[in-house]
Amino acid sequence: MSGRILVVEDDERIRSSMRLALEGEGYEVRDAASGEEGLDMFAEAPPDVALIDLMLPGMDGFECCRALRRSSAVPIIIVTARADTHDVVAGLEAGADDYVTKPFVAKELAARIRALLRRARPAEEEPGALTFGDLQLLPEQGVLRRLNGDEVHCTRTEFRLLCELAASPNKVLSREQLLDRVWGYDYFGDGRLVDVHIRRLRTKVEADPAVPQHILTVRGMGYKLVP
Amino acid sequence: MKLGIGARITAVFGLGALILSILMGGLSYFTVRHFLLAGRESAAQHQTFLNASAVRSSLQSGTTGYVLLLSNIDAGTNAHSVLFHGSKTYISSESVTAAAIPHQLRKAVLDGNAATQTIRTPQGTAEIVVGVPLPSVHADYFDVFDLSDLDHTLRVLGLALIVAGVITTIFGIALGRFASTRSLRPLAVVSRAAGAIAGGELDTRLDAEAADPDLEGFTLSFNAMVDQLQERIEREARFNSDVSHELRSPLTTLAASVEVLEADRDNLPVRSQRALQLLSDDLRRFQRMVADLLEMSRADAGSVDVFLEEVLVAELVRRSVEAGFAHMDGHGNATPPTVQVEPAVEMSHVGVDKRRFERVMVNLLENADRYGGGATTVGVAAAPGASGLVEVTVDDAGPGIAPRERTKVFDRFYRGSESGRRGAGTGTGLGLALVAEHMRVMHGGVRVESSPAGGARIVLTLPALVEDDPDGFEDGGGDGAGGGDLGRER
Repeated sequence: MSGRILVVEDDERIRSSMRLALEGEGYEVRDAASGEEGLDMFAEAPPDVALIDLMLPGMDGFECCRALRRSSAVPIIIVTARADTHDVVAGLEAGADDYVTKPFVAKELAARIRALLRRARPAEEEPGALTFGDLQLLPEQGVLRRLNGDEVHCTRTEFRLLCELAASPNKVLSREQLLDRVWGYDYFGDGRLVDVHIRRLRTKVEADPAVPQHILTVRGMGYKLVP
Repeated sequence: MKLGIGARITAVFGLGALILSILMGGLSYFTVRHFLLAGRESAAQHQTFLNASAVRSSLQSGTTGYVLLLSNIDAGTNAHSVLFHGSKTYISSESVTAAAIPHQLRKAVLDGNAATQTIRTPQGTAEIVVGVPLPSVHADYFDVFDLSDLDHTLRVLGLALIVAGVITTIFGIALGRFASTRSLRPLAVVSRAAGAIAGGELDTRLDAEAADPDLEGFTLSFNAMVDQLQERIEREARFNSDVSHELRSPLTTLAASVEVLEADRDNLPVRSQRALQLLSDDLRRFQRMVADLLEMSRADAGSVDVFLEEVLVAELVRRSVEAGFAHMDGHGNATPPTVQVEPAVEMSHVGVDKRRFERVMVNLLENADRYGGGATTVGVAAAPGASGLVEVTVDDAGPGIAPRERTKVFDRFYRGSESGRRGAGTGTGLGLALVAEHMRVMHGGVRVESSPAGGARIVLTLPALVEDDPDGFEDGGGDGAGGGDLGRER
């Protein structure tokens, strides 16, 4: 599998070793030493995945994520030093799709990238067009739009999450199932990924995200989509 | 038994009040008594002299109606007269006898002196006896004055003083209590603050504004002490965290580079391959160590975020054992432990941070492998009694852990005195300490027992979540006829 990856990392040695490892996995890598440089490179030649360190001099990783998100739905993986702090949630809320913690294993990072680059699950559970509320989901075309024709912009991961929920309306999907199908994680994936993405999705889909009508939480079990 | 400062202050106040009231009461009592008695005595003497001169005039005039004479004299007084004339004794009433006159007094009067004596009769009544010699008529005249009214007065006074003394003492004790609680109140505040600080609330300070002016110095130095303590703890935590963070960058570089080399392993000479193997093994170990240290320093700094999820405990344990075994990567025992789930807890939910629990299981399996010949059985069961806890037990095939070491194994960098572990220095020494820490933040616990087979048994406890499903509740209470698929038959 190949793809173009943008690595934004201020430590030159980590950058070089990441480049070596990811190139070894067959990716085409470009790297930037700061958030500003990263944004310039992104504008020049949009990559398939962006890898952003949260601790950057000048513009930090969160700001960099938000800036990218304003113009692009590209999958973003944040690199954080700590997994169990607010950093992860803040990074996800800034628009990241997934995260890895330092020191990471290059194989694992490659697996994360592969999962994000994968297309939505094929065939069997591919849902047909689904209308709920004033929204219309067209999985085949990768489009979510309002009935008046306006397109609702969401990231690739958000879209795939919505498709998974829409594939079996009214049926509860556990966090583990969603982590597996959307992110390719096993049982021990981080449930916060699902929670934050659901929150993000609600702000786009629900009339009042605080009182969701379509994407519902089922306590102790998971989430379900109610058309 | 050693008395507390409060009790001592109270006792001193009570004792002081008691001594003071005894002194004051005694002084008043005896002064009053003396004063009253002296008055009565001089009145009695005066009366007796008058009576005596009346008796003398009567005797000189040659009267023989002694009894009438004496009765007349007695009338209107509270005295009784006794007259010795010649060899005969005359008394004014039945209530007095010659025996009532003390010998000493009788003798003094016989010697020709007037005398007075206060006595207490065998019946217990107080009396003043005044004797006057009447040499001109060869007689001795005595008057016996009854003092029972005075006695009564004094008894009432004494009683009143005792009551006053008791009240004063009680008041003193109450005052002592009040004073001690008042003076100990700042200490109670300090004690609460110290407790809060010991409990990790390092921001706790004493309120210097509200404090007693006398204790201002104390308050300030206490706060200064906590400031220093907090600064030191924070500095230490920051240092630990900085060290681990700084180690992460080179580790990341190393890990990525070693992976590049490993991908190319087959093209390396055999010697280099072996060196690479050593390098990558120790690098992995080093990573674990840094991760563990960082975890520990984070726990110390109190900056842990816990993400609790509601999961089925049986599935959690099965998955964790699977993941933990896979994690050992063929370094450990060949066979994975068997997982035995008690049917009653098959559908029990617990609130855990799954990744933390996975790390707990990885640590326990590695530990069992390192010190106990590998984990044999992992059990999931309800804790005995209706404690609402679920117990996860990990048994190993080793020699067990001695009772005196069973709490120490959770200390950092503690390594069992029992040798016989596999490989050289493979652990970080933080494994079980981290297990305890992970379980603590998940509201659970961990302890060591011995397994039925004699090996070590690590027992993890987690609170089972109460199911708010009313149907399930009915199943539990019923005869298990309908919908009893939850394995509740115990």
